[in-house]
Amino acid sequence: MGEVNDSIQLILPFKAEYVIVARLAVSGIANRGGFDIETIEDIKVAVAEVCNKLVAMGSKSAENYKVIFCLSDDNLKVIFDCEDKTLKSIFFNEDDQLGISIINALMDKVEFCHEDGYILSMSKAVERDS
Amino acid sequence: MSSELSFREERLADAVKIYLSGEVDIYTSQNLKDKLYNIIDSTQMDLKIDCKELDYIDSTGLGIFVGTLKKSKQYGKNIYIVNLKDNIKKLFTITGLDKLFVIE
Repeated sequence: MGEVNDSIQLILPFKAEYVIVARLAVSGIANRGGFDIETIEDIKVAVAEVCNKLVAMGSKSAENYKVIFCLSDDNLKVIFDCEDKTLKSIFFNEDDQLGISIINALMDKVEFCHEDGYILSMSKAVERDS
Repeated sequence: MSSELSFREERLADAVKIYLSGEVDIYTSQNLKDKLYNIIDSTQMDLKIDCKELDYIDSTGLGIFVGTLKKSKQYGKNIYIVNLKDNIKKLFTITGLDKLFVIE
């Protein structure tokens, strides 16, 4: 990934009604990053899958989770983080298979339980016309 | 493009046709499952879901569709999904659900 040009952060409550905010935000950011419409739709779904799981799990100690969008010339990286560090392994049972398969298929790289302490990071490269 | 979900039901001779419009996500899907299950239980007919105006769905909605299909199968009935947009059809393919549902 090239040098990060811009970082945009969302702080969202663990509520279903605000997952759309993450979708709309990444849609706008990915559009600025030069992604085509089809890829933007893919990224929206992938981001929502993680938000859905976080909302479903909730947190006893934290009110919010954070979605960090890191945009560079050739890549968009989305990082999910929370002050509640017990929220690490968020995709862990059979019911999560649909979500996991969707995320892995739609994004280029996905890291669960990131070594830097994030819950998850995912990235997608920009395809430029040569 | 609406971020809400609208639901319209049409009774056919041999099936119930549902028109979904907008987005099926973790928030808007909360009563979709109840509606679909009630239709299956009360009519015991095939279900046709027209997705021409459906702009968004994720695993929340796909899971509801799967649950509805299981209920339909209990009555020996099926679910037909029609007019899927390409981005949504892709999700059915990724998850293998294109092999469970009749997609037209």
